[in-house]
Order: sequence, then C-alpha cells, then structure tokens
Amino acid sequence: MNREQQAEELDREIDALMQAMPSCEPSPSAWSRPITRGLRLLPSEEFRARLKEDLLEQAESFESSQLHATSEILPSLRRESVPSFSTRQIAVLPADPRSLFLSFLSHAAVVALIASGVWVGHVTLVERRPVSELTYTPLPAGDTDPAGGGGGGDHNSLRASRGTPPRFSDDPLAPPAIVVPVEKPRLPADRSVLGPPDLKLPQSKQLGDLLSPNVIIPSNGTGSLGGIGDRSGPGIGGDRGPGVASGDGGGYSGGVYHPGNGVSAPRVIYNPDPEYSDEARRVKYQGNVVLSLIVDPTGNVRQIRVARSLGMGLDEKAIDAVERWRFAPGMKDGRPVAVQVNVEVTFRLY
Amino acid sequence: MKTLERDSDDRQLVEAAQNEPARFAELYEQNFVRVYAFFARRTSTREEAQDLTGEVFHQALASIQSFQWQGTPFVAWLYGIAANVLSKHWQKLGKHPAGELRDLSIGGEDIERSVMLGKAVESLLPDQRQVIVRRFIDQRSIREIAEELGRSEGAVKQLQLRALENLRQRLGGTL
Repeated sequence: MNREQQAEELDREIDALMQAMPSCEPSPSAWSRPITRGLRLLPSEEFRARLKEDLLEQAESFESSQLHATSEILPSLRRESVPSFSTRQIAVLPADPRSLFLSFLSHAAVVALIASGVWVGHVTLVERRPVSELTYTPLPAGDTDPAGGGGGGDHNSLRASRGTPPRFSDDPLAPPAIVVPVEKPRLPADRSVLGPPDLKLPQSKQLGDLLSPNVIIPSNGTGSLGGIGDRSGPGIGGDRGPGVASGDGGGYSGGVYHPGNGVSAPRVIYNPDPEYSDEARRVKYQGNVVLSLIVDPTGNVRQIRVARSLGMGLDEKAIDAVERWRFAPGMKDGRPVAVQVNVEVTFRLY
Repeated sequence: MKTLERDSDDRQLVEAAQNEPARFAELYEQNFVRVYAFFARRTSTREEAQDLTGEVFHQALASIQSFQWQGTPFVAWLYGIAANVLSKHWQKLGKHPAGELRDLSIGGEDIERSVMLGKAVESLLPDQRQVIVRRFIDQRSIREIAEELGRSEGAVKQLQLRALENLRQRLGGTL
C-alpha cells in the first residue's frame, strides 16, 4: 500500500469514527485509533481562550469589589484616587492614562446599552448571545420569601448609616437603633426586628441598614417611629414594616440584586438550547420570548416568569430550556448573591 | 524532588491568586487540560464537557479565598469540585450513567494521557496542527479543510497522515 492509499484508508477510518461508526474490520491504520479517539476528546481552543477571558472578567469584578470595599473603609483615599495620577494610587489605576480613557468609553457604551434595555441573556435555536453586563439597582419590591421589610428613624437629617441588622425575633421588644438615647431604660431589652428567629443575615459590630450609602456618620435615619431608616416603622430599611429591607412585613425581603455597582452579573455556564414547539414549527412561527428570572447564590434559576410572551407553546419551551440553565452566581463583596436578570430567547426557523 | 518543586509552584500560584484574583489565569492554564479530561471521559459530547469544565473554574475562582494549603496538589481540590459538579449535573438531568462513567474517582492515567496528547498536538508543525485541530476538534470535512487552506484534498489527507504518524512517534506506547 503506497502513501496515498494509506492516507485514503486512514481518512475513511477517521470519517467512520467521527460519525461514531467504528469499523469492525482491522485495517492497516489500526495504530491510529487510540490517537484519533483521544483527539476527538480534546477541547476546542476557542473555548479554552473564551473561558480564560470569562475568568479574567470575573477576577476583575472581584478586584473591583474589593477595591470598592477598601474605598468605603477609607473614604478620603477614594476621593483622591479617581482624578489624581499620583504615585500613591499607582496600584489602583491603569499604567497608561489612555487605558483609563478607553475603559471609560467602553463602560459608558455598555451602560448606554443596558439603559436602553439590553438583556442579560439571549438565546436562539442556532445561536446564543448571553450578555452579562447590567446596571445595579437593589430590587425595590420584596418578592422573595420571606418578604419583610421596614425602616423608621428618629428624624435625623442624615440617612441611616450602613451596617447589619440585629437578630430576628418573633416578638421584638425594642426596635433597633444606632444612636441610642442617653436615658436609662427601666426594663432593658435586646434590640431585634420582626422575623423568624432562625433567619440569619450577615452580622457585624456595626448595626445599621445593609444598603445605605451612609458609611461614615452614625444615624438612625430620617424616618420616624423608631427603627433605622427613612420611612416610618420599627424595622430597618426604606419602608414601613418591622422587618429588614424594602417591604411592609416581618423578615427580610430577600436581597435580590441587579448587576452593577459591585454586584457582578451571573454568568451562563450551561445553557442547553430550547426546542421548537410542533405547533409553531408547522406554521413557521418565529419571534422572541423574554423571561425574567432570579439566579440564586448557588447558580440555580428560580422564579421564572414570562416578561414578553410569544405564544404557540414557545413560552413553555423557553421556560423548559432556561430552567435547566446553570450560572456562576452573581457576586457582591466576594460572596455569591441572588441576582435578577432577563433572558431573551429567540426562536428562528432557517 | 520534582513533586516538591511542583507543590511549591502550586502554593505560590495559589497565594498569588488569593492576593490578586487575575493571577488565577495561571492556575487555569496549568490545570485546564486535566479538569477537561476528567469530564471528557465521563460525558457524551464535547460541549457538555466544556460547559462543566467552565463551571468548575468559575466555582474555583469564586472560592479561591477559602482554599487552604494542606500539602495536596491544587488540582486535587479542582477534581473535588469537578466530582461535585458532575454529580449534580447528572442529578439535574435525571441521568443515571452506568458502569465506568459513574465512577467519580480521578482516573489519573487517562487524564495524563490526554495531557500528553494535547502537548504533542501543540508541538506539531503548524500546517499539520491546523489540519488536526480542524478535523478532530472543529469536526470539519477534508473538503472544507482543503478549501480553507487552498490545497487539494489529497494533500490535506497526506498532512493528516503525517500528523498522526508524528503524534504516534511522540507519544510512543502511552496511548
């Protein structure tokens, strides 16, 4: 057998292997089988490079959140670090001012896209384009369980200072307070907020509102009726209830975030394609379904709802697919958090 | 001695990544092929293996701060994450893989063979390497590769044959 025949024979065998039809007949090129089987299992170079880029982005978001945390601890340094290129801040700024300018432009473009309604995820039957940059806004509505919230204050001119809530209690006797009146109570009681006693939130020595921008001066907030916050109620947060965060009930409104401002967007890491419904395929029906969902701190998808319906069974198909998606969770201050995102699923027939 | 050097390298890289998350890229480069190989032998498609590999590295980066050096190689920690990821993946799909696929032990020889094969492919001449990558990884036909390279189908088949012969020579009896 000459080289040409040998090359032909080998290629036939590779074709069979690629179509998962291994030849039963031993051939002169049987030596190549272990190698060709091994080669079929090698990863794509494009994937390897893309994953590295994704990881670097993830690392960058960690670094920026760490930097954010540091700048909150040292507010004076934060004020100085942005406009100045002095050697003191060399470690937190790009070496080349042009990089800063380009970075600013690219981020501004991304923010503009986000503001105009770009989604965190996009999928078509042929192509998927998850977009992972969004703006951050703490979700105002407590639509997760338990759904409490509250926040009072003592008419201070400053917003409530940042901190963590005290323990939860079924029967809170004294509302939380950062600035405690000097008068001595006759019957001292632990400060607590209404909620299941087994509900645990991050704890620190500093009592306060988890989401407040005031990190400097202790304050109970501009609200009334005790508690900590800017409305009226014995809880903590920007509402009227006896619990923590936004809402009117006891407990905690769940801390569901949107990406941005130190909260990284969840990243899609497993996204099986949706199927076409028979009904839609028959009449060649196409279009987009928009799903709103929460990616929980373990990267699982929950609370999927249809934000823009398409019908003909395609909404259900989109939900079936997205339910199986898996994310690297969004991160805040180095910890995974629940993040709300939108995913657009495009159905096209080619 | 070699193990000690590797441990020391591992430790330095982990500490660097803990201090500066972007340095995780070095740990990624060093361990990618092994983690991928772990999944490649236990999943049915390349896409599935890639997705799960991605999940392992994302999880590892997210929890690198909690990694404590205890003398075992860093890759062992990654294999631990990989085994959990795979187990959850099967659970989620309601899949009950049979026999050797269900075995979550590491299977070091298989993985080392994949590592050596990957390195051997990287060391091929550029045109041979390109044919191998297009044919086996991108799953293109000989005709498509010939069109892309502007060569005859016969020439591409010859390149493929030479590349495989070179790989056999470099790998000896390891595959």
